Amino acid sequence: MTKYLVRRLLGAIPLILGIATIVFFAVNLAPGDPTLYYISPGMTQEVVEQMRVNFGLDEPVHIRYVKWLGAMLTGDFGYSFSHSRPVLDVLADFLPNTLILSACALTVAFLFGIVLGTLQAIRQYSFRDSALSVVLLFFYSMPSFWLALMLILTFSLFARNVWEWPIWFPASGMMSTDYEFLSFGAKVRDRLAHLVLPTTSLACVLTAGIARYMRGSMLEVIRQDYVRTARAKGLSERVVVFKHALRNALLPIITLLGLFIPVLFSGTIFIETIFAWPGMGRTIYEAILTRDYPVVMAGSFFFATMVVVANLLADVLYAWVDPRIRYE
Amino acid sequence: MKRHMKKSLALGIVAVTAACGGDGGPSASNDPFCQQVQPRVAAFMERARAENPTPSDPRYGGTVVVGSIGEIADGMNSAVSTDYSSTQHQQFVNLMSLINYDDQVNARPYLAESWELSPDGRSITFHIRQDIYWHDGERTDAHDVAFTYEVVTDPLTAFPNAAFWDHYVKGPEGVEIIDDFTIRIQLEPHAEFLDPFRTVGILPEHLLGDVHHQELAQHPFGEQCPVGNGPFVFVEHRAQDRWVFEANPAFPAALGGRPFVDRYVYRIIPEQTTLLTELLTENVDVYLAPRPDQAQDILDEPNLQLLAYTFRNYIFVGWNSRRPQLADPRVRRAITMATNREEIVQATLLGYGRVAQSSVPPFHWAYEQESVPVLEYDPDAARALLDEAGWRDRDGDGVRESADGTRLSFSIKYNTGNQQRQDVAEIMQSQLAQVGVEARPQVVEWATLLQQINTPELRDFDGVVMGWVTEFKLTDMDLFHSARIDQPYAWSGTQNPELDRLLEVLSLTVDREEAKTLWQEYQAVLVEEQPYTFFYFPDRLDGVNRRVQGVVMDARGEWVNIKDWHLDPASR
Repeated sequence: MTKYLVRRLLGAIPLILGIATIVFFAVNLAPGDPTLYYISPGMTQEVVEQMRVNFGLDEPVHIRYVKWLGAMLTGDFGYSFSHSRPVLDVLADFLPNTLILSACALTVAFLFGIVLGTLQAIRQYSFRDSALSVVLLFFYSMPSFWLALMLILTFSLFARNVWEWPIWFPASGMMSTDYEFLSFGAKVRDRLAHLVLPTTSLACVLTAGIARYMRGSMLEVIRQDYVRTARAKGLSERVVVFKHALRNALLPIITLLGLFIPVLFSGTIFIETIFAWPGMGRTIYEAILTRDYPVVMAGSFFFATMVVVANLLADVLYAWVDPRIRYE
Repeated sequence: MKRHMKKSLALGIVAVTAACGGDGGPSASNDPFCQQVQPRVAAFMERARAENPTPSDPRYGGTVVVGSIGEIADGMNSAVSTDYSSTQHQQFVNLMSLINYDDQVNARPYLAESWELSPDGRSITFHIRQDIYWHDGERTDAHDVAFTYEVVTDPLTAFPNAAFWDHYVKGPEGVEIIDDFTIRIQLEPHAEFLDPFRTVGILPEHLLGDVHHQELAQHPFGEQCPVGNGPFVFVEHRAQDRWVFEANPAFPAALGGRPFVDRYVYRIIPEQTTLLTELLTENVDVYLAPRPDQAQDILDEPNLQLLAYTFRNYIFVGWNSRRPQLADPRVRRAITMATNREEIVQATLLGYGRVAQSSVPPFHWAYEQESVPVLEYDPDAARALLDEAGWRDRDGDGVRESADGTRLSFSIKYNTGNQQRQDVAEIMQSQLAQVGVEARPQVVEWATLLQQINTPELRDFDGVVMGWVTEFKLTDMDLFHSARIDQPYAWSGTQNPELDRLLEVLSLTVDREEAKTLWQEYQAVLVEEQPYTFFYFPDRLDGVNRRVQGVVMDARGEWVNIKDWHLDPASR
C-alpha cells in the first residue's frame, strides 16, 4: 500500500507541473496584460512601459517562466497585481471560503443522495421510485446558476417582501455586516443562514447524480445471496436494508468523491459570483479577466493539486473500506 | 470496519460544522507594516473617542451599507489610482485632497484652507489646515503634500493619469516647502489647473516616505492597512467581500465634524440581480449604478428612492480613420446621420440618458446644447452624402462600393458581457444596412479588445463601441490631437490641424468664459470631423433606501457628502 501511495504521488508531480506549464503559457500568451486595466486617457505609452517594469513584465515570456518555476519550487508564488499582496496570502484568504462551501455542499449532497437512492431502490418501480426519478432528473438537468437565482427570488426576496415568511435567507455574502457585534450563538446562526442558499444550489445537482448511482448500487447489492440469506433468517426488512445491504452498496459511492471534487470547483465560480461568496473560483476568474498572472497560476496550481489528491484519496479510501481491493 | 466508518463520519461532521460556524475570513494582516500601524491607529481612536464625545443629536449613529458590483480596485493608494470608486474613497472617505468642488464645480477649501496664485500665474501657494491628523496620531502638514506631489509626478511611480501634470513642473524642483503648513508648486498657466488637487488624495510621508516609488503600487498601505486623515477611519478589508470604515471622532468641526453614521460598509456583490435583491430586502442601503431595466423595481418599492442624474461618461463608436472605408469625414458623418440615436437611448437606456453630439458632458460648465451643431437622424441625407463621397452600390448587392471597388463594409467591435454596447452595435447594423452600409458586430474579450485597439502598431479594428468617463478637467488631447497619434488612446487616428489648434488653445485657456466660446468652436469642428459617432450620455442611477437621509449624489460622485448621510433613528 505504501509503495502504491509513493508511486501515485511521484506520478502526480510531472502531471501537476505539466498543468502549471500549460496554464502559464496560456495566460501569459493571451492578448493583453495587467496594465490595460488602468485604462484612462492621459496615460501615455511611457507610463504603460513603466508599469510593466514595476510589475516585472518587461522580460520575455520564457525568461519569466523559468523565474516563475524556480521561485515556485522554493514556495514563492509571487505577488498579486490586483490584490497588492503575496499570492499565498490571497489564497489563504479565499481558499478556506471555497472549502467551507464545497464541504457543506458535498456533505448535504452525499447525505441526501444516499438516502434518496436507497429509498428508490428498496421499492423499485414503485410510484415513489418513478416520482423521485422525475424530480431528480429535473434537478440534474438544471443549470446551477439558474437554480441559484430562483432560490434567491423565492427564499430571499419573495419570502421576505411578498409572502412575509418568518424565515428568509440572506442572498449574498458569508456573514452580516454587524457580524462582529453578535454573540457566539448568533454568529453561528448567521454563518449557517448565509450558507443555506449557496449550499443548496451547489448540492442539488450533485444530490441528483449521487442518488442515481446509489439507486443502481443498492439494486445490485439487494439481489446478492447474503441479502437473501439475511431475509431468510427472518430479519426485519429494516435491518436487512440498513445493516446488510446499505453498507456494501456504499462502496462504489466513495469513488464518486474523487469524481465530484473538480465538478465542485468549476461549479463554485458561478455560485460564488451570484452569492457574492469571497471564494477561490471567483478570485481566479477575476484574475483571468484582469490578467493577474500570479494569482491565476497559483490558483490553478492548487486546484490541480487538490483534484489529484482527491482522486488519490478516493482510491485509497476504496481500498480501505473494501478488503477485496488491494493495490500493489 | 464498522467502527472506522462511524468514526470517520463523526469526524467529518465535526469538521464541517466547525468550518461552517468558524470565523472564516482573513485574520488580522500579518504584514510587518500593518502590524506596526494597527496598534497606533487603535490608540489614536481610543484617544479621539475620549476627547470627542458624540454630540447628543438623534442623527448620529448606525451603519450604512453601500453595495457595488466591483471592488475598490486600487484601494486607498492614490499614487497609482485612476479607478472611479478608488479615487472617490480617497477624496471623500479615508484620505483628503487639497480642494473640493461645490455643486457648480467651483473649487472650495478642504485640506488646503486657502490658496493663492502668483500674479504671473506660474506658482500656486497652498495653506494647509493645521487641525488634520493622520489616523495614527501624526499631524498632516506641508511635508505630506510635497511628498505626495513628488510621488505622483515621478515617472517611476507610473501614476496612471500622467496628463494631470502636463503643465506642472514635475518632481522635487516643482515643489517648495515654505513652512510646515505652506507649500508652493510651480506650473505654467493652463486650463482647470486646480483639478488634479481635487482628485489626488494626500499620502502620509511618515509612513510611505521610505518606500521606493516603483514599489508603491504593491505596498500594503493600499488595500490592507491604509492610514488616512479623512472623515472615516479604515477598519477592515475582506477582499471581494467588504471594506469597513468607522467615523473619525476627531475630524475637525470646521469641516462639519465627525460623520453622522458610526460605520460605513462597502460591500462587493458582483451579480446585479443579487444586489437588487439585497437592496429590496434592506440588507444594503445604497445600490450603486443599477441597470436601467432595474429602475422600475426600485421605483415600485415605497421605502426606496431612485436617484437619476447626468454624469461624466459617454458611449460612442470610435472609427479607425486609417481604414480606407472610414477615412473620409463625409462617410463618418453619413454613418452618424443614418443612425437613430434617440431610438437607441429609448431602447437600451429606457430613456435614462440623452443623445450626445460631442465629448462635452451635460454636467460640465462648457456644455450648451443649443450652440452645438446636431447631426439629425436623416437616412436620405446620409444616402446623398455617401453618393457625393463616391460610394455607390455598383454591383447591386445592396452594399456601396468606391470607384476602386472597396466595399463600404466594416466590423464594429464591443466587449463580452456588455449588453448595452451589444445593443448599440446590433441596432447600428440594421440601420446602416438601410443606407447601403454593411456593419458587422463582433464581440471580443475585454483585455483582448483593449490590446487590439490600444497598441499603436496594431489598431486591429474598424469601429469599436467604447465609453469614456471624463474628468472635470476636460481635455481630448489624448484622443484627437495628431501629436499623440502613437499614444494608446488615439483610436481614431485623427489628424485635423483645426482640432489640433483648438485643443492646444483650450488646454492653456484659464478663464472659463473665454474657454466656453472656444469649446463651442471645438465641438463644431469635432462634429464635422466625426472621429467618433457620439451616442449618448447615460444617466447615473442609484437605488437608495429612504432610511438614509441627506444623500446628495451628482456628477462629482456618489460619495461627495457621505459624511452628512444620516439614518432615520426609527430604522436602527
